[in-house]
Amino acid sequence: MPLDTQTPPKPVVSSSRDDDARDPAYLKIRDVIYQACGIYHSEEKLYLLAGACKRRMAAGSKATDPRHYLELLTGASTKVVELRELLNEITIGETCLFRSQPQITALQNVILPELIATRGKIGLKKLKIWSAGCSTGEEPYTLAMFLLEQSEKLLKGWTFEIQATDLNDRSVETAKNGVYGGYAVRNTSDLYKRKYFSPAENDKLRVNDEVRSRITFSRLNLNDDSKMLFMKGMDLIFCCNVLIYFDIASKRRVVQHFFSSLQAPGYFFLGHAESLYQVTDQFRLVHLPGTTTYLKGLPGSEGNPKP
Amino acid sequence: MTAIPLREMQKKVEALRSLPSSPAVLKPLLDVLHEPPDKVPIDKVVKLVSYEKTIAAQLLRIANSPLYGRTKPAESIQAAIFTLGIQRIEDILLSNCFSKMVPSDKWVVDPGVFWRHSFGCALVCREFAERIGYHDPDKAYLAGLLHDLGIIVNSLAFTEQYREVLAKAVEAGRPLDEQEEETLGFTHCQSGVILAKAWALPQPIRDVIEWHHTTTLAPAGNPLIALTHLADLLCRVRNLGYGYEEWRVVDLATDPGWIDLGEHCPKLATIDLARFTMDLDAYVVRITSLVDTIFSVN
Repeated sequence: MPLDTQTPPKPVVSSSRDDDARDPAYLKIRDVIYQACGIYHSEEKLYLLAGACKRRMAAGSKATDPRHYLELLTGASTKVVELRELLNEITIGETCLFRSQPQITALQNVILPELIATRGKIGLKKLKIWSAGCSTGEEPYTLAMFLLEQSEKLLKGWTFEIQATDLNDRSVETAKNGVYGGYAVRNTSDLYKRKYFSPAENDKLRVNDEVRSRITFSRLNLNDDSKMLFMKGMDLIFCCNVLIYFDIASKRRVVQHFFSSLQAPGYFFLGHAESLYQVTDQFRLVHLPGTTTYLKGLPGSEGNPKP
Repeated sequence: MTAIPLREMQKKVEALRSLPSSPAVLKPLLDVLHEPPDKVPIDKVVKLVSYEKTIAAQLLRIANSPLYGRTKPAESIQAAIFTLGIQRIEDILLSNCFSKMVPSDKWVVDPGVFWRHSFGCALVCREFAERIGYHDPDKAYLAGLLHDLGIIVNSLAFTEQYREVLAKAVEAGRPLDEQEEETLGFTHCQSGVILAKAWALPQPIRDVIEWHHTTTLAPAGNPLIALTHLADLLCRVRNLGYGYEEWRVVDLATDPGWIDLGEHCPKLATIDLARFTMDLDAYVVRITSLVDTIFSVN
């Protein structure tokens, strides 16, 4: 996997993108989305939001310009449906293997060394990881491959297991199959493709058994309190672009479960544009190079409960 | 390598004051920098710009770069000043005169990287100040712009040793000031403040230069120190650092600077740090194009 830490920041977005997103209605839509689901578009990402809105305007929604679209998103009779449709547009194409390189790089250089140091002390040389809302399996396979790649390096003498859950039966079946087309592996390096995949029909790639054996796929409703209680002793939890569909009350309840499921110190990863602002006082937002994560600190290390 | 005794460090740094390459524009520029940008009279800026023969042409080229999207080209220096804004002129003048002060073979941290970090930190300081209700966002901007003066000092006075410091810090993914302390025996804070004193920078800015890595030791009552410290940390975890990643978890909420700043600015407790952090990514884009424009026309 390319782990180029010296990569310069991305070049300026082209002016045509800027023009599209310059309508002030998009700033209001941005805030509506952020309030409703905690997904945030900073200035240089507004063109993505504008693109998603335009696709919705072209496909079925009754609005023709951003201001009318904003009315749809906030109107009492239309907002529930339209918000969900827009979220689908925003998160479309988000799933691929090795989607968030800063997360993987930070795992390798910061989080794993720290976990190995703290967990190693108590003699348990096993990592437990939960991919919550794993959709069609891209995230747990990415983690499994990355960790396998570390098994002769950082994780020498360690084992790991990954629990991958999703609400949707069909997604879980697709995930178990582990067959991916070119688009899903666009960020996967040739080294990983050679090592952890074999050719499947229609030019697709099938994840090797060695990788599969590290993952347990199952159906789980994050709102099912009794089942959530069984998810214990996790070292890392990933839950990307899932909570955005929850209302604030269920979001709080689910995040509370995640908190209980983690060992301390343990980390809870969200999608790169997601925030838990005003959802939790227990997790603490901490910074890693180019990304953020939420920390469950050791008892007594809470410091100031904000942010 | 053995650490450099503090006295020797002080002597070498003080000698820098008389460097012939120290440009004439510096003193009046620093005078202008004390004032809020909207209070600076335009004739003062025109005068500033006239100090350096090459600067007028450079400002025109920057004002006419695609970054500013003018439909008609700026042809007079007044038009360039109007397009760029006084803050930007100050940025360009300051980076220009520092660049002249440091011969190209003495830059240890790449000048583009250094200015991305300094301008970035300045912007983050001002934005942070505004969001938490700190009363003087322009002073915060200046603090961010100058906080790492000591990196220039170390590059000039201890070039070879400093190359070693940077290489080791990059290799270990460790904070630069920690590596300086270990290898040199002092940090850019201690060397920077010597020059800051010699240049008679205002006391609050001097304090920032001296204490931004050791906020717990700083004199009480100057929230600018903690503010700059936190903005600096944010820049370094968000692609506006010294050109390499520091491999550690940065936990702002338990940082003594965070707690200290919260006592001065109660609004800090309500800031949406996740959102602020994501907004920084837009700064990276802006700052990078600004620095690239400044340096590509040099």
